[in-house]
Amino acid sequence: MTSKPLIALDPTSGPLQRKGDRELAARPPTLDGQVIGLVTNGLGRSEDFMLALGDEIERLAKPSGAVHILKAGVSVPPEPTDWARLTSEVSVAVTGFGG
Amino acid sequence: MLHAARHAYDDYAALAEDYDARGWTDGLPIVPPTPEAVEAFLAAANLAPDTILGEVPTREVVVTAEHAAINAVMAGCRPAYFPTVVAAVRAHLHEKGNCHSTTGTLSGASQIVVVNGAVREEIGIESGEGCFGPGFRANATIGRALRLVIRNVCRAIPGYLDRASFASPFRYSFCFGENESASDWTPLHVHRGLDVNESAVTVHSAMSVSEVADFESRTPEAICDVWLEELLRKGVYADRFLQHGTILIVIGPEHQRFFLEAGWSKEQIRQRLFEKSRKPGPGQRPVSVAGPEGFMLVAAGGRGMASTWFFFPHLAWAITEKIRT
Repeated sequence: MTSKPLIALDPTSGPLQRKGDRELAARPPTLDGQVIGLVTNGLGRSEDFMLALGDEIERLAKPSGAVHILKAGVSVPPEPTDWARLTSEVSVAVTGFGG
Repeated sequence: MLHAARHAYDDYAALAEDYDARGWTDGLPIVPPTPEAVEAFLAAANLAPDTILGEVPTREVVVTAEHAAINAVMAGCRPAYFPTVVAAVRAHLHEKGNCHSTTGTLSGASQIVVVNGAVREEIGIESGEGCFGPGFRANATIGRALRLVIRNVCRAIPGYLDRASFASPFRYSFCFGENESASDWTPLHVHRGLDVNESAVTVHSAMSVSEVADFESRTPEAICDVWLEELLRKGVYADRFLQHGTILIVIGPEHQRFFLEAGWSKEQIRQRLFEKSRKPGPGQRPVSVAGPEGFMLVAAGGRGMASTWFFFPHLAWAITEKIRT
């Protein structure tokens, strides 16, 4: 006599790493001529930090422009209009948080 | 029809080891989430498996009733607890609950589930002696079920999307009830806009905890003054997204009785705390609440220890959700 196997359900919302998941874009050799996206989540002094980072990048390189995005909150993605700006105008993006 | 992938094991020991190896537990043994058990839980809450309870947009995660049921079975809940688990999951996933932040934070904030209404008696939620601790199945497993959903479904896994430096033992499970029969004080869920005949959970993400023990004070004003020292020492922070915060204050019976003897309501206590915390002095921190309603007062605990517990918030509002049966 063989006993029936114990059947149990996967408790997750899917695997943590999936083949083909998005990857970080390749880093350009220089920031000269790039449009820098600076995405801030609003926590703590993150706005001050990202503004200072933008100034520092301008001092060290010759970017052709900058797009500052401030998210509505820590737990929400950027607004669709902000996503559109990031994907259409920006060639290099930096995200960050503060506490 | 259930959607989750199915796994077959020769016996419970093999299942327990595999679930642990896959990172699907909190380190403690789990109850096997068989299809039959999960279906019984969904039936208890009258929910279809694909009912959406909420989502975590930044993680591209959608949480369904089936997800919650699987993890509630694993946590050791009874089917009758499941409507309370569902309400807690819905509350946790409310936008102003800020769950991506509260479960990913370096500070290791914990999620506290406060239960109000008749459901406390129906399923055995403890609100008296030892109610924060072990020994009460409903308290232990409902709090654990929420945390397993946070881990398994919302992906708040230490070192992955949970970046807590230390975390907290409160993260295994933290659920208790308000002792509504100890007085005629207005229950928390009624202060939060629900009807007294309804049952509800309030989920509060706490970044730090202070037990304020005071055996000396004998008047409401004196007790409030001692509380205010701690309140203003730590403060309540809110950012641009939240605008204002909420703080959970659990009043033990040895403090509560002085308020009751003097005829003080919760409303009077909240008003005094609000007025006295408006202007922080040197070395004190702002208490960023929108008004007296930002102080969520709950009566609980057992006699003997003259203490009241302050659960200072992480960046989130406490969210109250009706339990639907």
